[in-house]
Amino acid sequence: MKKIITPLFSIPLVVSLMAFQRGDVLCNAKELKDKAKATLEPYKYDSSELTRILYKNKETIKEIEVPLFIGEKYRIIFELEALPKQVEVQIYNKSKESKNRKLLFSSKDKGAAKEFEFEVSKSRQVYIDYVIPPSEEGSYSGCAVFMVGYK
Amino acid sequence: MSYKFLAIPCCILFFALISCGGNNEDQKNQESIESVDSSVTTNSDLSSNDREVSYTLPSALQIAYVFKKSGAMFIPNLLNNKAKASHYNTSNFKRGANFGIYSSDLAYCLFNKKYQESKEYLKACKDMGSFLGLNQAFESENLTQRFDKNIASEDSVIKIVSNIQLKTDVMFEQNKQNYIPVIAFAGAWTESMYIAFEVYSKNKNKKVLISLMEQLILSRTIIKALKVYEEKDAEIPALITAIEKINSEFNNIASVKSAMEKDEEMDFSVMPVTDSELKPIAESIKSLRASIVD
Repeated sequence: MKKIITPLFSIPLVVSLMAFQRGDVLCNAKELKDKAKATLEPYKYDSSELTRILYKNKETIKEIEVPLFIGEKYRIIFELEALPKQVEVQIYNKSKESKNRKLLFSSKDKGAAKEFEFEVSKSRQVYIDYVIPPSEEGSYSGCAVFMVGYK
Repeated sequence: MSYKFLAIPCCILFFALISCGGNNEDQKNQESIESVDSSVTTNSDLSSNDREVSYTLPSALQIAYVFKKSGAMFIPNLLNNKAKASHYNTSNFKRGANFGIYSSDLAYCLFNKKYQESKEYLKACKDMGSFLGLNQAFESENLTQRFDKNIASEDSVIKIVSNIQLKTDVMFEQNKQNYIPVIAFAGAWTESMYIAFEVYSKNKNKKVLISLMEQLILSRTIIKALKVYEEKDAEIPALITAIEKINSEFNNIASVKSAMEKDEEMDFSVMPVTDSELKPIAESIKSLRASIVD
């Protein structure tokens, strides 16, 4: 009997451990997006993205291209509470290939805030960079969410 | 007392825990999981300094909102036949693309205060959504009932549809179907472009033309986003080819070409565009739309 029961118990245990290892348990997309949505008001929801962040032994960058319509007013909400270690959020007007790339926003000024917003208009796109710091303790992961709303 | 029965889970636990240390193989595995799970994340853009680029796309509601602000009129016979929803229940590509088509039609009706039609297109979206496993998004918090109750209030109804959009985005994420919203947006964009060209051909409204040109720029991002999932669905490459053709025709507009060469910001309110330059784009859009809805 034990021969049957033991493997039955071990399977869910391993599955949970593997899920934890991948960082999936840290990423509750619904909860994070619901929080971001509450801050987005009174802007109307447009789009959002959950980015899985993997910390490595060197600095890495995840860039997200966000198309906008020129003349519209946008609010962008960042929800970083599911990150084990703070990342810096930078927003640029152009891609890294452009000579005219300008930094529009950096979360450095926000200290350790886990939630902040940025408003933009007169722009056709923005480039959101998550600057992921190196981690000496080995690789671990978390999630960042941003949400775009328009007025 | 024998502890033999603990041996198997203990060994498994031991190996699971030592694997938490994160060796190189684990990192590789984790990266491959990430590239599948993350919304539109691409490894092809990885450079030597460990930079990854991904893309987000706007909602069908927003493109319709921008289009409506241009003063575009409502032409009911441009909308896709709402009774055809079940006809598209053949592949995830067809379901996704037509979910986008109906979302765009719903948004077009909403911003033109056509509430009865909006209700019917919401049903078409709900039907398409159910084929894609999105029932919960439409049924949670009585969204459709609230839609009926607030049908005369544009702002409330738009908020309800925005909420449905958010819920469908979350569900696609939870269902590991991140490629479907990209296909759906391509469908929504195609429908919106089709309507914009038809409306512009009727009254040559300059503001509609500006809005149309603004939306055409999106073709670049749609192509990049679709390319991330090129191998996810056999029908995606043909969609990319069709949108690349449209993008190339757009880039061939003399004023667009000139602005791109000079790396200038495009201001469509002053840039000249001729009907002969627009004609091939309109035809390509029409043909792409037909390939999705027929």
